[in-house]
Amino acid sequence: MNRFGSELEVHIASLRRYARALLRNPVDAEDLVQEALVRAVSRADSFQAGTNLRAWLFTILHNVHVNQVRSRAARPDEVPVEAVESRLTTPPRQEERVEVREMMRAVESLPDEQRQVLLLVALEGLKYDEVAEALGIPIGTVMSRLSRGREAVRAKLATDGSVALRRVK
Amino acid sequence: MSEYRVTDDDLHAYVDGHLDAGRRLAVERWLAEDAEAAARAEDYRAQAALLHEMFDSVLNEPAPAEVEDLAQRLKGRLAGNDNAPPWYSRPWMRSAAAVMLLVTGVAGGYLGRGAVAPSPALVEKGRSLQIFAEEATQAHRFYTSDDRFQVEMGADDPGALDSFLSQRVGRDIYGPDLGRIGFRLIGGRSLPTDTGAGAQYMYANDQGKRITLFVGNPVSGAETAFRFAQNGDVAAYYWVEGATAYALIGRMPKDELQGISKAVYDEVKSGRSKRQPQQEQQQPPADTQQRSGDGQPQEQPNPVQPVSDTRNKDS
Repeated sequence: MNRFGSELEVHIASLRRYARALLRNPVDAEDLVQEALVRAVSRADSFQAGTNLRAWLFTILHNVHVNQVRSRAARPDEVPVEAVESRLTTPPRQEERVEVREMMRAVESLPDEQRQVLLLVALEGLKYDEVAEALGIPIGTVMSRLSRGREAVRAKLATDGSVALRRVK
Repeated sequence: MSEYRVTDDDLHAYVDGHLDAGRRLAVERWLAEDAEAAARAEDYRAQAALLHEMFDSVLNEPAPAEVEDLAQRLKGRLAGNDNAPPWYSRPWMRSAAAVMLLVTGVAGGYLGRGAVAPSPALVEKGRSLQIFAEEATQAHRFYTSDDRFQVEMGADDPGALDSFLSQRVGRDIYGPDLGRIGFRLIGGRSLPTDTGAGAQYMYANDQGKRITLFVGNPVSGAETAFRFAQNGDVAAYYWVEGATAYALIGRMPKDELQGISKAVYDEVKSGRSKRQPQQEQQQPPADTQQRSGDGQPQEQPNPVQPVSDTRNKDS
């Protein structure tokens, strides 16, 4: 098939991982990706060949996320029971190593804006200008949030005891 | 002596693999002097590695049916307004490249974007190699993060592993011996790629550090120079040699991986020329010791017909 298809698949896998890292809850994460894709389909005409598909998709995802957060804040949380159930039954991840748990906590303690930048850069490998495009902020802001986020995580891991932050093998 | 001043942004770009060679060198010069900065760089890399450890499992979870559906629809919609790739994936269109450049140029303003227009076949090839490298990187993430299923077949018998993977890929391939740089083959698996089946060989050294060598079919046979790609904390070198595409992947600094790529490249080159004339003979000496040592009498590795064609092309 065309190259385009497999490129898209790679990006969607990346969107799903990012959404999971951002929201932590699998149900919410898949919902977010799904809603973003619905919007992407309806706006496919606005995508220009030769421009950055990945940045385009992440921009859409980010905008959907912002809207979701906003509308959730506006009304009390009303969700169907099934959704809650599956939320409750999300298996705890017990097999994790201490460092992983500490990292999880450190990332969760970050302000949203720093967490988003850190995840997009360090987990999804987006370039800084792609992050700027996706989040709709200047590149200088990307850099300062990245820097503050990384240092905050670093400080947190260092003070949370087991300084045994694994050195990259 | 460079008077280039290294900034905080450079340190991040260094960790994220976004620097060109000159600036990277400047940062490394700085890091050699400044232990505090070096520790920061290392911690940032470790953070990225932990993030992958935490979330890469998502990549192995099947997407919900709705997401799959939407992906297909999006693919269709985008293909409609994508004025490039589907056209030149057809062989007959390649011969009409010049005409097509004109058409795309007029229709899409596509060429207006850059001063020099590379030929569509080149663009196509570059992109598909890039995709190959991305696939190899994803596969590396998948399987090095999973201790139980990291390989489909172990390397206790490298000969059996090679013939298993050769059959899957549809041509003669093998996992080069990297013993001299301290990496031993632990096994491999076959995987679907954009250009047909590919094979992943996994190696580990004594520190448990793992690298994978991904072997597959390039879209066209012409050889390429080494190319480098960085995705988060994972680095990749990829190239085409003979009729085969290779991608070497590892979580390590670019330079370290480059050294290994060189070793792989040398092994593959010498292995190819050494092995080929011996293909029809019985017991090749020296470097293929293990395979002859296991007592298997040269059994025909499953006589799948089309394979012989590709093999001939290979030599």
